[in-house]
Amino acid sequence: MLRLEKVQTHYGRIEVLKFIDIEVNEGEIVCLLGGNASGKSTTMKTILGIVRPTSGRVVYRGEVINDVPTAQRIKMGIATVPENRRLFPHLTVLENLEMGAFTRNDKLGIQEDLKRVYQLFPVLEERKNQRAGTLSGGEQQMVAVGRALMACPKLLIMDEPSMGLSPALVDQSFEIIKEVNKQGVTIFVVEQNAQAALSIADRGYVLQTGEIVMEGKASELLKSDKIRKAYLGEA
Amino acid sequence: MKKTFKKEKLLKWSRINRQVLIGAVLFLAFIFPLFNLLGWMGMVWVRLGVKVAVFVLLALGLNIIIGETGLLNLGYIAFFAIGAYTTAIFASPRLGFHLPFWLLFLLSGFFAVAFGFLLGLPTLRLRGDYLAIVTLAFGEIVRITLNNWESVTNGPGGIPGIYDPVIFGLRIDNNFEYYYLTLGLIILCLILIRNLKNSRFGRAWNALREDEIAAECAGIHVSMAKLLSFMVSSLFAGFAGCIFASLQKFVNPQYFVFMQSVLVVCMVVLGGMGSIPGVIAGAIALDTLPEIIRHTFAFWLPSFLGEDFLTSFPPLLQNFLFDFDRYRMLIFGLAIVLMMIFRPEGLIPSRAWQRELHEIDPRLLEETQMIRFDLEEEEKDLEV
Ligand SMILES: Nc1ncnc2c1ncn2[C@@H]1O[C@H](COP(=O)(O)OP(=O)(O)OP(=O)(O)O)[C@@H](O)[C@H]1O
Ligand SMILES: [Mg+2]
Repeated sequence: MLRLEKVQTHYGRIEVLKFIDIEVNEGEIVCLLGGNASGKSTTMKTILGIVRPTSGRVVYRGEVINDVPTAQRIKMGIATVPENRRLFPHLTVLENLEMGAFTRNDKLGIQEDLKRVYQLFPVLEERKNQRAGTLSGGEQQMVAVGRALMACPKLLIMDEPSMGLSPALVDQSFEIIKEVNKQGVTIFVVEQNAQAALSIADRGYVLQTGEIVMEGKASELLKSDKIRKAYLGEA
Repeated sequence: MKKTFKKEKLLKWSRINRQVLIGAVLFLAFIFPLFNLLGWMGMVWVRLGVKVAVFVLLALGLNIIIGETGLLNLGYIAFFAIGAYTTAIFASPRLGFHLPFWLLFLLSGFFAVAFGFLLGLPTLRLRGDYLAIVTLAFGEIVRITLNNWESVTNGPGGIPGIYDPVIFGLRIDNNFEYYYLTLGLIILCLILIRNLKNSRFGRAWNALREDEIAAECAGIHVSMAKLLSFMVSSLFAGFAGCIFASLQKFVNPQYFVFMQSVLVVCMVVLGGMGSIPGVIAGAIALDTLPEIIRHTFAFWLPSFLGEDFLTSFPPLLQNFLFDFDRYRMLIFGLAIVLMMIFRPEGLIPSRAWQRELHEIDPRLLEETQMIRFDLEEEEKDLEV
């Protein structure tokens, strides 16, 4: 469904992604692990078109989308939970969710998806008229996920969805990701929380200073010594 | 405890009052010139009414950029100038053109929009201070061009003798007709704004104001939305310029200076960014206040208190009150500073900005007050 082929991305003259290859198949949950500044968010931005690769190809559903503008990519079915959530802080929860459905015209479908989001996050319905900036961090994260779902995406790209959540909420949010995936959305997720991410993912990639240093089935990565040492805090 | 109950009632009242107020203002706007026919006020006030109406148009247009889209445009008066000069050039003896008014009107709008596009294009990536500086420079470039392009604009001398508009065979040649013409245009523009605000464009603009990257990630074409915002607001300025030129029968570059751009920004900010009633109130207040103060001290008070009551004032104050127009900017500056401290949301704030500047959402406030009220009731029950 999504393929990065030898993608290289620069910020100015600094090379951040060094010829990375990533593939996400339809229906999968794929996670991207890596330390700080390894280029995870840059990978996400490259997929979304917020930054453009300097070489290599981004292929989405058989189509090279290197030159497709971000808004167009959203229309093509890619939705995102961006790093740091990036809500519209002064709009209400409901207005934020509605912004997620900006590219859609099917009113009925939007209403249904809104109900679905409220089912996933009942607290958002209670708070629908509160302005998003005044929500707690966890609630804001729910809005960010809900907003992405409102786009009715085929591919959902999440940059650290568990950031700022309490351990209980982390588990819950990964349950929700699994649930969303079951409903037919392919998911590509960046996580620091390797344990939680790998436990729901099908496959994983490990990024280190802009290079893919490991990839494989999630269950195998979980067992790997290197991963356990680097990300699961085991000696 | 009783106070909370009162507050809740007040909130409800303020909502009803707002509608009553809007109705009253509209009614007043319609009958205003009739006061002159009844002999209650002089022609100056009708003329001032036309000027106010033109500036209401300008403020409404600028509000689209500043209030709705969150971009600062400090060269807005340039689009007004482009509209006015288009009309002046194509309907005056200057170059011998005399186009029909409807065509002039559309042309003025068209040129303003075209320049809005031209300014928007290179500034798409700019925000905040940088955008403000570039728009400011644009405003100056337009003014200086008008000042120096003598073969067409007659330079600093300006263009006199602009013809009266003729609409459906009716020659618009007195202040009453101009007033109702502008009022009609304002109402048209209000309808347009209403529709835009509730459309995808309006939502896109508001999203842009909040967070550009998030807007992009929601599937908004950020560049297109910005360009459109620039173009729509320029359209309003172009229309206003056309009417202004026809009304004044004369345009010159000195009228379109940077200070005028600032004045329109003041109207929007003082009135309440993003709030249509607010912006209208801002335009009315800033345009009429100097006149009202001048008249109060030059005519009304003397007629009650005797011709020479002012001579008992210190000379500096006398000078100030008589020549209020010259101190206008000083007063506006002071007013803005005070407003930013005590009422940052403007005279009549929009809901969104109110939310932005006051942490508690009024609707939530209302809810908590209801709860408090319930508690109060319970307390009473306990007492009994
Ligand atoms: N806009 C930018 N301009 C210049 N350098 C940038 C920019 N954005 C990111 N970088 C640099 O690129 C590198 C990778 O950043 P990126 O945000 O992709 O890291 P990350 O893997 O998401 O890290 P984290 O886990 O901390 O979020 C960092 O060294 C960062 O400083
Ligand atoms: Mg990151």
